[in-house]
Amino acid sequence: MTNSRNPLPRRYVAGALGLVVLLGGCSSSATGGKQESLSSDQTVVIAVQGGTTGGLGSEGKSTADEIASFEKAHPNVHVKVQALASTTDQAYQQVQRALVAGSATPDVIDADNTWVATFAKAGWVKQLDGLGPDTARFFPGQVAGASYQDKLYGLPWYINVEGLYYRTDLVPTPPKSPAEVVAAAKAALEADPKLKEGLAFEGSKYEGVVCAFIAFLGGFGGTLDLGHLDTPQVRQTLQYMHDLIYVDKVAPQAVTGWTEDNVGQAFTSGQAPFATNWPYVFQAAEAKDSSVAGKTGWIPFPSATGHPTAPLGGSVMLLNAKSSHQAAAWALMQWMTDPGRQTERALSAGDPPSVRAAYTAKLYAAAPYYKQEEAVFAVTTSRPITPRYPQVTAALQLMLSQVLSDQTSVESAVSTAASTVKGLGADS
Amino acid sequence: MTALATRAKPATSPPPAKIMRRRRREGPWFGWVLVAPAAGALLLITAFPLVYNAMNSVRHVDLLDGSSRPFVGTENYRRLFSEHTFVPALEHTLGFTAVSVTLEVAVGLVLALLLNMPFRGRGLLRASLLIPWAVPTAVAATLWRNMFDRSNGFVDYLLGALHLPGAHVTWLANTWSSWVMVLVTDAWQSTPLVAILLLAGLQSVPAEVYEAGRIDGASRWQSFRYLTWPLLRPALMVAVVFRALSALLIFDVIYVVTGGGPGNSTETLSFVNYHAFLVDNNFGYGGAISISMLITTVMVALLLRRVLAARC
Repeated sequence: MTNSRNPLPRRYVAGALGLVVLLGGCSSSATGGKQESLSSDQTVVIAVQGGTTGGLGSEGKSTADEIASFEKAHPNVHVKVQALASTTDQAYQQVQRALVAGSATPDVIDADNTWVATFAKAGWVKQLDGLGPDTARFFPGQVAGASYQDKLYGLPWYINVEGLYYRTDLVPTPPKSPAEVVAAAKAALEADPKLKEGLAFEGSKYEGVVCAFIAFLGGFGGTLDLGHLDTPQVRQTLQYMHDLIYVDKVAPQAVTGWTEDNVGQAFTSGQAPFATNWPYVFQAAEAKDSSVAGKTGWIPFPSATGHPTAPLGGSVMLLNAKSSHQAAAWALMQWMTDPGRQTERALSAGDPPSVRAAYTAKLYAAAPYYKQEEAVFAVTTSRPITPRYPQVTAALQLMLSQVLSDQTSVESAVSTAASTVKGLGADS
Repeated sequence: MTALATRAKPATSPPPAKIMRRRRREGPWFGWVLVAPAAGALLLITAFPLVYNAMNSVRHVDLLDGSSRPFVGTENYRRLFSEHTFVPALEHTLGFTAVSVTLEVAVGLVLALLLNMPFRGRGLLRASLLIPWAVPTAVAATLWRNMFDRSNGFVDYLLGALHLPGAHVTWLANTWSSWVMVLVTDAWQSTPLVAILLLAGLQSVPAEVYEAGRIDGASRWQSFRYLTWPLLRPALMVAVVFRALSALLIFDVIYVVTGGGPGNSTETLSFVNYHAFLVDNNFGYGGAISISMLITTVMVALLLRRVLAARC
C-alpha cells in the first residue's frame, strides 16, 4: 500500500538491483568460464615486455611482424598487444595486479622465467602439459626455466643470458679471471683516452643488478644458494663489485643508477672496453652504423675456478588460467615458437631462439656472432626457482644497493640479506 | 532522464501547501535517501578500506598463500619493529616532513610577500606560479631525475660552470644528495601552493591596519613582525597542516626519483607500505603499516594544531 502511494522506494530498489546486477556482471566476466573456439571471432591480448615500440629496440618490431602474420593465418583472431613497462620489476607488478584481481586478460604473458614459480603456485597460469607441448624442441635449461615442480607452465620464447662483452681491439686475449678483467680494463683505459670507464655493469636497485651479481659470483666459483647465502664466495663477489667502483675505479659511481640500457649504450658508443649485458646488445654492436662493429666479443664472465655462470633471464610465454581464449592463445604461443620465425627474430631483433631447430646455417651465415653466443648459453644458471622470488630479489637488491653505494659493509649487508631470505622460507 | 523529468514537474507546479504535505508524507528517511549516494561513496572509499585494513592487520593475509587468513593478533604490529625497514622509514618520513614543510613555508612566504607588492605583470606572475603545481608529480619527478643526471642533466653542468660544490656528483649514489633531489623536486612542486595560500592570507589583511602602523611610525620590519605575521597565522596554519599531512604520505617522488635507494636510505612509510602490498603481496603486514601511518598522521595533525593554535 505504501508503495502505491509513493513510487520512490520502488525506484531506489530497482536502482539498487541494477547496481547489484552490474557488479555481479563485472565479477562473473572476470572468471572467464566459457571458452571461445579457435574458429570464432575474438581478440587475444598478449602482454609484452617493452611493447611493440619502446623497450628493447627492434624487438617490438619483430613482435608486431609475427603478430601480423599470425592474424593473416587466423583472420578471425585479432591480437592486441599490451605494452608492459621496460624494467622487469615494474612489468611484473603490472601483470601481477591483473592476475591478483582475477582478470581474464592478458591472455598470453611474456614473462621472465623467475615469474613462473610464483604465478604457478598461485594458480594464475595454466599448466600446459595437457595441451601436448613438444618440449624436446627446446633447450633443456629453457624448459626447466618454464616449469615449476616438474610441470610445464610456459613455452620458452627466447634465451636471455647475461655475459661479458669486450672490445677485441682493446683486449686481445679474453680475461680468464675476475682479477684479469680489472687488469685488462685498467690497461685499456690507459691505452685509449676516448674510453670513459673500464667496466660497465648495471648497478641500479632493480632485477638487473641481481643478474650482474650472479654473473660475477660464478667468477669466484659461487652459486646462489638461498639456504646458505652468507658464503665466502658471496662476500668476495660483493667486495669485488664494491672495489670496481671505489678501489680499482674501473667502473664509475654512476653505475649505481644504471640499467642494462645505460650499460648497452656505454658499450656500443665505444666508451667502455667491458660491459655485462644480454644477447640483444650483440646485434646492436655488430650493426653497420655501430662504432664497435667487428670489434665485439662475448664470453661468460670469466671464473677464477674455471666454472663460470651466466644467469638465465629467458623469456617465457604463459597462458592466463582465466583466459576465455585459450585455444587462440595457445595457437599464438606455438606460432611464436616456430623455428622459422625464431630464426627471423634472431636476425632482426637479436633474440637468441629457444628452439634448437632455429639455429640454422642461414642464421650463422647472417649473424656469425651466434656461434660465440653458444659458449655463453652452455653455462647458463637459472636464478633461484621459488614462489617467493619477488621477496628474495628485493632482499638481494637491497644488499647490493647498500654495498655498491658504499653505505654498509659487505659483512653486515650479507648477514641482513641472509636472515631476511631465511625468514621467507624461500629455500624450502 | 524520464525519472528526473517526472520528479521535477510536481516540484514546480503544485502550490506550496501541497509540497509541505508531501514532505510530511515522505517522512525523515527521504533526507537520508538523498544523501545516501554521497555518503555511500564516502564510506566505500574511506571507511571500507580503513576497516578492511584494520581487519587484515591482525590476520595473516598473503595472496600467494591461498584463501586461509588465520588470526595472528599483534604479530604484524610486532613485525614493524623487528624488521629493518619500518623504523628507518618512519624516521625518514618525519625528517622529510619537518625539513620540506619548513623549506616550503619559508620560500612560499617570501614569494607571497613579493607577489603581494604592486608591480607590473603581477597577475601573470601569480598565474604562472601555479604551473609547477599543475604538473603531475610523476612527470615532475621524472624531469628532475633527468635534470640531476650527471652526464645529461643541466644541474651538474650549471654547478660545474659556476665552480660550485655539488658538481660532478652522482646524485643518486649518496644518501644526502638523494635527499636533496627529493627535497628539490617536492619543493618545486609544492611551494607554489603554499605561496598562493599565504598570498590569500596576506590579501585578507585590511590596508587600514598598515596605515595605522605607518602613522604610529612602524618600520617595515616592525610592520611585518607585529602586523603581518600575527594576522597571517590562520593562513599559515592551513598551509603547514596541509603540507605536513601530504608530506607524511610522500610516495611518488621517492618512487620515481630514488626508488628508495641507495640501499633503503630514502624509503618512506608509503614506500615501505607499497612494497608490503604490491611486491610482497602481504596484505596483513601492509594493513599494519597502513594503520600505523594513520596513527602517525593523526598524532602529527593534533600536535601541529596544538602548537600552532597555542601561538595564534
